[in-house]
Amino acid sequence: MQTFVPESITWPDTAPALRAQVRALVAAHVDRGDPRRLANSWAVPDPRFSRALGAAGLIGMTWPQSYGGHERSPLERYVVLEELLAAGAPVGAHWIADRQTGALLIRYGTEEARERWVPGMARGEIYACIGLSEPNAGSDLASVRATARHDGDDWILDGQKVWTTNAHHAHVMIALMRTEEGSERNAGLSQFLVPMDAPGVSIRPIIDLTGGHDFNEVFFDGVRLPANALVGVEGDGWRQVTAELSLERSGPERYLSSTALLIELIRRAGAHPDTAVRALIGRLAAETWTLRLMSASIAVKIARGEDPALEATMVKDLGNSFEQAIPELVQAAVEVDPAGPEPLGLVLGHLLQLSPSFSLRGGTREILKGIIARGLGLR
Amino acid sequence: MNEQQQMIAEMADDLFADLSARKTSDSSWEAIESVGLPSLMVDADRGGFGGNWCDAVIVFRLAGYRALALPVVEATIAAALADGAFDGRGTIAPAAEGTLAGDRFDGTITGAAWAEGAAYVVAPAPGGGSMILDMAQASIGGAANIAGEPRANLAFQGATARRLPADIFALGALARAAQIAGALDASLAMSVAYVNERKQFGRPLAKFQAVQQSLATFACEAAAANCAALGAAQAQGRGDGDYAIAAAKLRANRAVGVGTALAHQVHGAIGFTHEYPLHPLTRRLWAWRSEFGGDSHWSGVLGDRICARGADQFWADLTAVTD
Repeated sequence: MQTFVPESITWPDTAPALRAQVRALVAAHVDRGDPRRLANSWAVPDPRFSRALGAAGLIGMTWPQSYGGHERSPLERYVVLEELLAAGAPVGAHWIADRQTGALLIRYGTEEARERWVPGMARGEIYACIGLSEPNAGSDLASVRATARHDGDDWILDGQKVWTTNAHHAHVMIALMRTEEGSERNAGLSQFLVPMDAPGVSIRPIIDLTGGHDFNEVFFDGVRLPANALVGVEGDGWRQVTAELSLERSGPERYLSSTALLIELIRRAGAHPDTAVRALIGRLAAETWTLRLMSASIAVKIARGEDPALEATMVKDLGNSFEQAIPELVQAAVEVDPAGPEPLGLVLGHLLQLSPSFSLRGGTREILKGIIARGLGLR
Repeated sequence: MNEQQQMIAEMADDLFADLSARKTSDSSWEAIESVGLPSLMVDADRGGFGGNWCDAVIVFRLAGYRALALPVVEATIAAALADGAFDGRGTIAPAAEGTLAGDRFDGTITGAAWAEGAAYVVAPAPGGGSMILDMAQASIGGAANIAGEPRANLAFQGATARRLPADIFALGALARAAQIAGALDASLAMSVAYVNERKQFGRPLAKFQAVQQSLATFACEAAAANCAALGAAQAQGRGDGDYAIAAAKLRANRAVGVGTALAHQVHGAIGFTHEYPLHPLTRRLWAWRSEFGGDSHWSGVLGDRICARGADQFWADLTAVTD
C-alpha cells in the first residue's frame, strides 16, 4: 500500500526569476505596517494590489492569451502563488477568480461569458465568489435547495446561499442551483454565472468572531438571467463542482495561512534562541518543507491531466491541521501578549481566533477524513 | 518512478517479500548479493547499477515495508562510499568517539549495524566528515536495537582509517526516513486489512466512523513520511541534502508516533502479541526514530540553521534548495 505517490518535482527554470519578480512587487506594494494582514493573506482583499498583480501578468497565468491570460505552466503559477502567500500579500480580492472561476468559464462558459468576464479577471479587476453552502447544506452540499427554473429563454433563480466569502467584493458568483424539480442529492444540479448586481440579488454580512467581515448570506429573489447564464451542461453541476476539488484542496493556501506567525517567531528568536523555541522552529520548518512537496506534487499530477482527489484531500487535511496547530504551539513556547503590541503577539492573537476556521472552510476535517477513509477501502 | 526504478522496485520487493516470509540465514544474504543490490549506487564502470539516491530510497522504503531482517540498506550505502576499496559487505554506524590522527583511529564506534560478518565500516570521523575502517581491526561488542536488529560497539586501537568527505550520519538519517516511510505504509496496510476483517458488535471494525477517522489520520502521516523521504533523496541527488535530510528525518520521526499508536489501537490486544506480525514493523519504527538522530537532534540542527539566517531568509532559503 502506498497511499500517496510523491512526484520527482522539476521546478521550472523560470522559478528564480518569477520569485524575484513577486518579491519586488510585494516590496513595492504591500504595506507591512500591520503584521496581522500578513497572516491568512489569501482572505485579505486589496483591489489595488490585485490590479498591480494583474498588470504584472501574474493572474490568470495559465489561461489562453485570447482571454487575457499568459499561457504559463501550472508550476510557474504555483511558484507565484506560494511566493505571494509566504510574503503575506493581500490576494483575497482576486483569489477565487484566479483559482477557479476563470478556468471554469474557459472550460465550460459560453464564448460570450468568457469574453465578458475573463480578461477583467486576468487584469485583477473582476472578482468572484462561490455559492455552494446553504442554511441546510453546509458540509452536506448535495442538499442544495436554491432553484433555477426555465421561463421562456430565461432562468429564474430563487433561494439562499450562506457562508459566501467575499460576496460583498465580488462582481460575479458561480452558484450551484437545483434545476430539476424533485431531483435529489447530487442529481439535477447546475452551475450559473450570476452578476452580483442583477436585480433580485441581495447580500447580508455575517460578522465572524474576530469582528471581521468575510462571510455573507446571499439571497436570490426571482433573479432573471438569460439562457447563457448556465455554465456547462444542465444537470451536470455536481460533476463540474467536484472536478475542481483537487485544485481547490491542494494549493499552497492550504498550509501557509499561519506562516507569518512562524516568520515572526524566527524574528523574535534571534540568532541564539533557547532550546525549546529552536526545536519548535525546526519542527515547523520540517513540516512546511514536507507540505510544500506534497502540495506541489498534486500540482504536477493535475498538470499531467490526472485528478489526484485522494492525495489532494490528504494535503488539505494535513495542511489545515498544521496551520491550525501553529498558534497554539507558539503560544505555549513563548511568553508574549496575544493582544500586542509586539508583532509576534499581534499575529498570534489574530491567528488564535481565526484558525478554527482553517479546518472548516473548503471541506471540514471530518468530511476530508471520510473521503480518505473511502480511498483506503473502509467505506 | 521511471522504467528502471519500476524494474528495481519489482525485483527488490519480490525478493524482500520472499526473504521476510522465511527465517533469514546466511543464504538469505547470498540471495541479496546474487542480484547485486548492495552495488545499487556503485558506478557502472565498477560493476554496479550506477543508481542515484532516488533509486536507493525506493529500495530502502521496500526494505522497511517488508521489515527485512538483513543489512541491505547499510551495505548499499557503505558500498557507495567505499568506491571499490574493500571487498565483501560493508556497514555503517551513527557515532564514533576517540581520536583520528593522520590515518590512525583510536576509539570506539557505536551502533554499527550488523557488524558481525561485515568487512568494513563507515562512521562519522572525530572532527567532521566520515571515516572508513577495515573490520578486521575491530573488537566487536554485540548488542541489538529494541527491534532485535544487531547493533554493535566496535573498539579500535591504532587502526588504519581513511577519511571520506561524506556525512554518514545524514546519509543514515535519509535511509532511516525511507525505511520509516515503508514500515508505516506496511503497518497501515495491515491495519486496513485487519479492520475490514475483524467484526465486533455485528459489523466489521472498518464500519465504525471512529476507526475510519483514525486510519485516515494514519494515512496522512504515512503520506508525509513518503514525500519527505523522496524529497530528501532528490535534494541529496542534487548535491545539497543538508536541509532536506534534517527536515525529512524529523518529519518521518513525527509520523512514527501517530502511526504506531493508531496501528496498535485499531488492532487491539492481538497486535500486542508476539505471534502477530505487527511488532516487527512497529518495533523497528520506534528503534529507527532514534537511530541517526532523533527529533531533538534534527529540530536543533534545522532550528539553528534557520535562526542563524534570520526571519527574512526563511522562505527564500526553503525555496532555494529546490529551485
